[in-house]
This record gives sequence, structure tokens and C-alpha cells, in this order.
Amino acid sequence: MRPISRAVLRPYVCPTCRHGISAGRRRFGSKSDSPDLYDVVCVGGGPAGLGLLAALRASPITSKLKVALIESQDLRKAKAWDLEPNQFSNRVSSLTPSTVSFLRSIGAYDHLDVNRVQDYQDMQVWDGQTGSRISFDWSMETSPFEDMRTVATMTENANLVRALLRRIADLGDENLSLFSNATVASIENGSDLKPEGPDLSAWPVLTVKPTGPAAETETPKRIAARLLVGADGINSPVRSFADIPTQGWDYGRHGVVATLALDEPATPPFPASKRTAYQRFLPALGGPIALLPLPDNHATLVWSTTPENAAYLKSLPTPAFLAMVNAAFRLDMTDLTYMMGMQSSSSDSTSHQDELTWRAQHTPLPSQIPPAATAVQAGTVASFPLRFRHAAQYISPRIALVGDAAHVIHPLAGQGLNLGLADVASLSKTIQYAVSHGMDIGDLLTLERYSSERYLPNAKIGGACDLLHKMYNVPGEGPVALARSLGLGVVDRLPFVKSFLMKNAEGY
Amino acid sequence: MASLRPRALPLSVRTLRSALSSTRPSPNHFLSAPASTQTRAHSTSSVSADELSHFSALASSWWDPMGHSRILHLMNPLRHEFIASCLAEGTSSPSQNPSSTSTPSTATLNYLDVGCGGGIFAESLARTIPLDPTGPAPTPTLAASMTAIDPSTDLIQMAREHARMDPTVHEHLRTGRFKYLNTTLEDVLAGNAVTLTPASSSTAASTPNPSSPSTQPAPQYDVVTLFEVLEHIDPKTSTPLSFLTNCLRALKPGGWLIGSTISRTLPSFILNQVIAEAPWPIGVVPRGTHEWSKFVNPGEVKGWLQEGLMRAADTGVSRGGSAIAEGMRWKCVGAIYIPGIGWKMVPGSEDWGNYFWAVRKEI
Repeated sequence: MRPISRAVLRPYVCPTCRHGISAGRRRFGSKSDSPDLYDVVCVGGGPAGLGLLAALRASPITSKLKVALIESQDLRKAKAWDLEPNQFSNRVSSLTPSTVSFLRSIGAYDHLDVNRVQDYQDMQVWDGQTGSRISFDWSMETSPFEDMRTVATMTENANLVRALLRRIADLGDENLSLFSNATVASIENGSDLKPEGPDLSAWPVLTVKPTGPAAETETPKRIAARLLVGADGINSPVRSFADIPTQGWDYGRHGVVATLALDEPATPPFPASKRTAYQRFLPALGGPIALLPLPDNHATLVWSTTPENAAYLKSLPTPAFLAMVNAAFRLDMTDLTYMMGMQSSSSDSTSHQDELTWRAQHTPLPSQIPPAATAVQAGTVASFPLRFRHAAQYISPRIALVGDAAHVIHPLAGQGLNLGLADVASLSKTIQYAVSHGMDIGDLLTLERYSSERYLPNAKIGGACDLLHKMYNVPGEGPVALARSLGLGVVDRLPFVKSFLMKNAEGY
Repeated sequence: MASLRPRALPLSVRTLRSALSSTRPSPNHFLSAPASTQTRAHSTSSVSADELSHFSALASSWWDPMGHSRILHLMNPLRHEFIASCLAEGTSSPSQNPSSTSTPSTATLNYLDVGCGGGIFAESLARTIPLDPTGPAPTPTLAASMTAIDPSTDLIQMAREHARMDPTVHEHLRTGRFKYLNTTLEDVLAGNAVTLTPASSSTAASTPNPSSPSTQPAPQYDVVTLFEVLEHIDPKTSTPLSFLTNCLRALKPGGWLIGSTISRTLPSFILNQVIAEAPWPIGVVPRGTHEWSKFVNPGEVKGWLQEGLMRAADTGVSRGGSAIAEGMRWKCVGAIYIPGIGWKMVPGSEDWGNYFWAVRKEI
């Protein structure tokens, strides 16, 4: 039998008063049942998560939304991040011009420390096996009267994160909750707050727990999300809550990174402000080595190679490590394979350098090699595993995945962060459209605009990087090597094809 | 983790039934016949009984984004854009002056959505009503309140259930800025509909409205919307002309009557009857949704509205009827659905199928 409704039993109270009473009772009586309601809850405070927050806060259409961000690291430390002018973090990314224009449009680019970022206008890419090369040089495309076009802009991730945090702070803290030093303890569906409250049974409700010293004293918070955004990386908890599977594989390769100081270039660049990025494919060693410019003759190294080689490189004393890096841009595959196996000992730290000097005398050097690396910044040699992942979907009711939670790709084209920020640009535009058209921002009909805009481009670029990785992992002078050199040679000689490729790489 | 997944379609038939049984019957239901679905379709209404049962049967999938109504859901943002383009030309509210665009407008317009169905448009507009009525309007539709009516009990019940799943919309339902009424336009005009609001039914404090049909209440609405309704009018009990006249009567002077419908031409027959209602995977709307013979052409709508404006003006406004018809502000633009891309407004495509139209009641 249906219970007698409360409305019948209650004596008459005018509607306005009743509203006040019931609101008060809900807050007091059923505290555990009714979570705080947010429009957007973003899990993860990396460049993608913070970029989304800054984009939403910067747009007049979405600035009124109630938003929250949950990050396990200390965001105050990230905001106060600072390094000596000549020191550079080893976590560096290249921003394509379209990413830069997105960052400008949300007002974050001006908060970057410009003395720590470096544009480059030329890119030299060649095959260590066959010697065939392609140069991405915008100075041929532009007239002498205009500024040289930028291929990409190098920035430390910490500089970018700090810029985004400063921009978010700039935009005020109304309707904004930053849960720093906090983790998501659980995500579950809400409940139907009958009869007075709304039905939250399709809303994700997160329990946010503080970490560190505050964990003892502060009680966990429960927050409900109209739209829950997973910007929480490759092992995304939001993605597993949404039960979205991923496809992918591990490359069995590691990326060795380091911050290097370079020699003065043998011939000064022309024009003087022109900087060049270098990448040489090393089929015999498992992947390309890249040297990307940082300010003041510094460079960041990304060397994709097998885990054994990566471990060997990390174990070398500094002079031997530098000799290996310089050798990798100069010597042929046989010499490199030999040097990768040389016994190293701290007493005999010049053996690699001697080997390089002797072998380089007998190797014809191409013209495009980078200046020699002269020093490694202490503590910057590190490595990370290379993986490919692509989520089966980016969206689910009241859920959207961005950045690494949705896709992880091979870093050889430096596109990972750019794809993540392109996701964020698209999702923030989708949310703006939804708000201005009365749509529910967590509804599938809203979110499908985002996923249809981003899924194919991400799959295309991730697939292209995967294909390049596989093509340049076939050692020897076989048909694949021939096809590679033919392909690169043809592209390099056809200006319009090349310019098309360069524009694609830029993200236009 | 599978059990934690958000339900894609939280509204099952069972919850619908329980929602029906838990609502306290309104006085009108006691007075009327026991068959709940058909009660509101009495002889004075423009609503066809066949149409009513067809759409009530579709209720369970109304809000499924991949279901029968997907094409309507996709069209919804265009409705907002079309309304915004009309309001940019002027509104019935004196405070909304189009020339003073420098200051953000406050939301002052009262909407009436006739034939709201499951509430696809009504709920989306209610979402744009600001929680703080004095704050700036978040969208150019400037909604301050929304009253949505439909003769189908099932659909109104389902619309209310669905609205509870959005706390913002739910709050507007509680405060009465957003209302779903299971009634007809004729009853709204006669002033009989107010007793049906959920707020008054729960307090049981409402007294029967003593207004007699002879006294016309002052028009209350700044915008009356009529989306995909004209083509579902029952020719046996009503005519589009009398129906549109009633819509105009609900409008304040300077207000807009805005709608969309489908034209009765050869291309629209092929698109809407042959292709759109074809079996899966070609078709996008359920078979029997449309009757081509009921479709109306832009010229017909325009003619009825001219006539309707004159008839509506008979009750009290001093200006002559023909002057009103001549100075009628009329807008019309076609809309085309392109699979894979979505709905697009295409001026000049009014005769191909779907089109939006609007008319402003002169001040």
C-alpha cells in the first residue's frame, strides 16, 4: 500500500515559506545523502585538466558554472615553481602554433615565463640507416619581410602548469573549488533524493579525500558532477568508473630524457634568431634520438630506445653519456651498436669519447648535425616507458575523457600534449555551445559533439606516429629502408606536399 | 565496476507507473472520465485522439538520445537560435530594448510551450532560467518562466520525472518558475489550468477558479512556442486557424508566436514519409509519426496567422484588423537534416520539408 504522502499530513504553509523550511531540513537532516552539486568536476590537475578549467573560467558563457578540480599533488607548490635561469626541467613539451593560439585565447600564454620558452623555425629529420632526410624549414616558405614561421614552441611542463594556475587565480575563485593534495577515494552513482530533492541516480558522486597531514583531521567531501571530466592520465580512475575499455600496446621502448648544454654552433644561424630541432632515426637501436632547443644554447634530449639501451645509457658516467649522444647524431649504425655495448667504468671515463673521436674521422658527416653536447644538467637523466593507448570511447553519460586518459601516443612527433590541449579546446567549446543552447552539459547529446570532433584526429595522429615508429624500427638495407628513403626524398623535393605535411604537423 | 555505470536510460516503464501512482490526483481528474490518457482530449480541444495514443506509446524512449526522438533532440539547439533571432528584433517587455545591448539583459520573458510532449524543448529552455531572477540572463532567450502544456498525461508525467534528474530544472519546478501542466491550450485561455500545478495540488489549498468563459483573462505570455505541433492537429475537431488564433490570444502585445512544422510538398513527402519513416537503418522516426496530408505549407501558416491576428485583435484592441494583418512581422526559414552533420538552417528551403516560422503580435 502506498504510504500517505507527507503533503497531506503537513498543515498548510505558503509555498515560499515551505521552500525555506525544506531547504533547511535537507541541509541539516540528510547531510550524508545530498552531496555538493557541481557543474564540472575535473579529476587531474595536469596541463589538460588545468587547461580545461582555465578555458571554462575565461569564457563569459561558462564562467558562471560551478567547477571543481581534484589533484593529488600540491598545486600551491606547482604555482610557486621556480628554477635558476640556466636550469631547465627535463619534462619539456613542444607546443604547436595552434596550441599556442588556444593558450593565448584563454589568456594563459601571457603567464608563461617567456625567458624559459624557445621557438624553433627549422626541423632537421633524417634516417641514420640510409641518410635520406627531410628538412622542415619555414624560412623557405615565408618572405624575408615577415617573421619566420614557428614550427613549434618548447616549454617546460612546469612553466605551462604554473601559467595555467596563475591564469585561473587571475579569474577569481567564485564558484571554483580546487581540491589540492586530494585523491578520489570512490566514484559511485548518486541516489534519488525523494520526495523533495532531485533524482541524482544518474549523477556520478565522488568522495574526495585529503592526503598527507590533513588526512587525519579533515573529513572526506562528497561532490556530485553534472559532468565528470577524466584528465587523470593513462590509468584513469574516471575511465574505469565509466567502464570504458582501452586498446593499445607497450612499445617495449623507453624514452631517455636529459637537459643538455650545447656548444656554440660552428656557423652562426641565419637569421640570427633561427633555431633548429634535430631528430635522427636509429633503426638499429630501436627508435629516434631528438634534440630540441631550449633558450641560451640548451637543449632537451628525447632518445627512444630499448629498455636495455636506456638502462645502459643511464648507468654511464656523464662524459660517456655525452659521447653517446653526440655519437648517435654522427656515427653509422654499426659503430653505434658497438659503442652501446662498450664496458664502462668510472676510472676510464674517456673511452667512449676516444672511440667517438676516432670513428668520426672515418665517417662522412652530414651537414645538418647539431652542435656537440658539452654538459648534462645534474639530475636530469631519466627515462619513461613508451606506450600506445586509445580509449574505445571518450564519452559516457555525464563523463568525458581528455588527454592521456583518452589517448597515449608515441612521442616521436611531440604531439601528445598538443592532442590533449586540442581535446580541451574542443570540450570547452562544446560546453559553451551547450550552455548557450539550454543543453545539459553532461548529456550524451552534448558530449557527442566533443567526441565526434576529436576521436578521428587523435586516432589519425596516433596511428601516424605508430606507423613511423614501426617503419623506422626495421634495421638493415632491406626494402623498408629503401621505401623510407624514397618516401622522404620525394616529400623533401615536392614543396607543396612538404608544406602540407608541415602545416599538418603544426596542427592547422 | 559494471554496476556503478550511470544508467543510459534511467526512466523505465516501471518508474513511470510508480510516478503516476504516487502523484495525488488533481481535482480535474475526479471530475473527468476514468481513462486518464484521453481525459484531456475533450471536444473543445485541438488534439487528435489517435495522435495522443501514438505519442503516449513512444513515452518510454522519448529521452533516449539514441532512441526514436533523437532527430528532435538534435533539432533543439536550432529552436533556441531561431528564438534568439526573433527576440533580437524586439520583445513585448519594455525593459528589453534591443538598442541597449551594452548592458546585460535580465531574464524577463514568460514562455508558454504548447504541445511540449516529453519536454525536450521546455526543459532545455527552463535550464536557461537564472536561479537568481535579478541576475543577468545567461542566454539571449531571456526566459524568466516557462509553462509547458500537453494533453497526454503519460508524457507530462514523464516530462516531470525527467526534469527531476536535473537539480536546476527541479529547483525551477519547485519554485514554480517552470510548470508542466496536463491541459490544453483552450483550458489555459479559459483560466482553468492553474489548478493543475503541482505546488497547488500538494498544498490542497487551491480553490476552483470561478472565472466564467465569457471573461477573457489578460494575455500573460511574451513568447508562445509551437514546435512540431501544427502538423498533428485533428482536422475533425479543430482547425489550424482556430488553434493559431488561440495561441495569439495568449500573447502579450509585442510578443512572439514561434513554431516549426513541415511543408506538404513532393520533396517533403519523399524525405519525411518515404525516407524518414523507412525501416531501420534508413529511417530516423517511428512509422506513423507523421501524416503527410496534415502537413502545412509556409503560405498557409502565414495566411492563417494574418486571419488569426485579426480575430485575436477583436477582443479589446482598438486598431483595425486589416491594418494588423498588413503590418504583420513574419519570419520563416527552412531547416534541413544532413546525416552525419546535423540540422542546418537553410534560407529558401522552406518548401523542402522542415521550417521555422514566427510572427510578432503588434504592440
